[in-house]
Amino acid sequence: MGRQRRFTPLIAGVTALVALAILMFPVYAVIVGSFETNSQLLGTHYNFLPPTPTLANYRTVISTQGSHIVSSLIIGIATAVLTLAISLPAAHALARYRFRVTVGIVASLLVAQILPSIVIANSLFVVYHKLHLLNSYPGLVLADASYAVPFSILVVRAFMLGLPNDVLQAARVDGASEWGTFIRVVLPMSRSAIITVALFSFLNGWGDFIFALTLLNGSTVEPITLSIYNYIGVFSEDLGAAMALAVFAILPAAMMLIAAQRYIAAGLTVGSVKG
Amino acid sequence: MSRRPAGPPGRARGDLRSRYRRTARLAFLVPAGLYVLFAFVVPVIYNLILSFEQTTPATIANLFAPWAGLANYKFTLLQAVTQSALIRTLTFTVASLVFQFLIGFGLALLFNLRFPLNKLARSLVIVPWLLPFLVTGFIFRFLFQFEAGAVNQILQDLHLISHPIGYLLSPGWAYVTVLITNVWLGVPFFTVLLYSALQDVPPELKDAAMIDGAGPWQCLVRVTLPVIRPVIEVVFVLGFVFTVKVFDIVISLTQGGPANSTQLIATWAYNLSFQQFDYGAGAALNTVLLIIALLVAPVYIRLNRDSLRQG
Repeated sequence: MGRQRRFTPLIAGVTALVALAILMFPVYAVIVGSFETNSQLLGTHYNFLPPTPTLANYRTVISTQGSHIVSSLIIGIATAVLTLAISLPAAHALARYRFRVTVGIVASLLVAQILPSIVIANSLFVVYHKLHLLNSYPGLVLADASYAVPFSILVVRAFMLGLPNDVLQAARVDGASEWGTFIRVVLPMSRSAIITVALFSFLNGWGDFIFALTLLNGSTVEPITLSIYNYIGVFSEDLGAAMALAVFAILPAAMMLIAAQRYIAAGLTVGSVKG
Repeated sequence: MSRRPAGPPGRARGDLRSRYRRTARLAFLVPAGLYVLFAFVVPVIYNLILSFEQTTPATIANLFAPWAGLANYKFTLLQAVTQSALIRTLTFTVASLVFQFLIGFGLALLFNLRFPLNKLARSLVIVPWLLPFLVTGFIFRFLFQFEAGAVNQILQDLHLISHPIGYLLSPGWAYVTVLITNVWLGVPFFTVLLYSALQDVPPELKDAAMIDGAGPWQCLVRVTLPVIRPVIEVVFVLGFVFTVKVFDIVISLTQGGPANSTQLIATWAYNLSFQQFDYGAGAALNTVLLIIALLVAPVYIRLNRDSLRQG
């Protein structure tokens, strides 16, 4: 028994290590690949380490893809801002006030979470054509927010339901308006839920592909997901640059995991996070 | 003791104030309401309208096209590619969920044990879920490529295969590759949710079962699984919702090929609308996808009944 106790952690640890090695291998492979030349990437055998590490791919990406990286950043940040602007007041109202329609609204948000993006994209393409919103940041960001708005309202509302009621009452007694209470009391207290939602809505905008593919058809706006796809589409020889660009594409997720891990974990546990 | 002002004037003032307050409260919901109309209600209704119209690239300029009755549905659903995409989406979803659950639950049980670096391992396990799906597909395309692909290299080094396999070149293997990719990116979601459910299982329950002479397997089946059942239902419902609309990884891995052998409903609907410019047919197939996705809506709402009741 004693021996078994001592060995269980060891076996569990080794098993976890093997599982992690498999799970993380694709990430390792893209990083290694980004330091290889095209002839190495498309040669006769796979290299577990770059034979002759080179920064050439990163140089190519910075000189030719800089504007696309900026585009993705703009889209991610704008998606997060728009999502928060729409969902925070709604979450507050649904948590704080009793409306006859609350149950109906929450149920319809749950249904909205289920709707496939391709359905939305197909319709929005035609509607945007009419509204001249194709190939524009506002059009794309409005569509990208659809990944995160229902989720954000539900998550932040759930958090706000747990706020102590007496603090909110005190603010009311002090003569704060509904809006004042929301801005000065509720929002600061809900900070952790707001950060979670902001991070995920950023990731949704940053990583979106369906809306970028369908609602952008020129080169005015091109996020990096679309650039990476274009590398595939034309069977471009420059796989190395695509690898380096893919490393840029996974950077935000990596940085968030390092800097804001508990918010990410919280978001995952609450439920559906990605569209 | 002062009485509250009675009579018409006071009541009118009170009414006005409470009406003002009610309006102020409803104002918080206005942006979200408008957005839901714009991003969900209008697209769904418009998709339904499109699916009954005779669309051509030229009619797109007009927002509305001539009525076509059920022509789009007949045309789309009678296509062999559509039919195989429907069946494939079903098998793909079932296979994905089974593997994601088995691997995810295995990892959750593993993380539930004590071992060094457990916390670090748990935080790293989330990574596949956070990457843009398109990038995941791009990376797997590289890993599964015929020459200089890591998978062929590793399997050959281990002497499990003697010749490299063209994973993305043959229909059967291409399907398996898309499936593996989807399982890989979905496992973290299952692991994290099931792990947090396992953490909430009261240890006393297990101890009591142990004292009654139950082995680890019986403990798992008789105690743990029934307790975490609600979470299992949630992961399956959400897993279904995610998988039934899989798009990005198919487009980046195979673009639905070779010979449409990896077309799923979403990718084929995209193909109809945006590559064949038959928006009506694409909309008809989208309606089918919508109905399939909404099949789980009642279950999903029931599972969230607590959040409906509160407030």
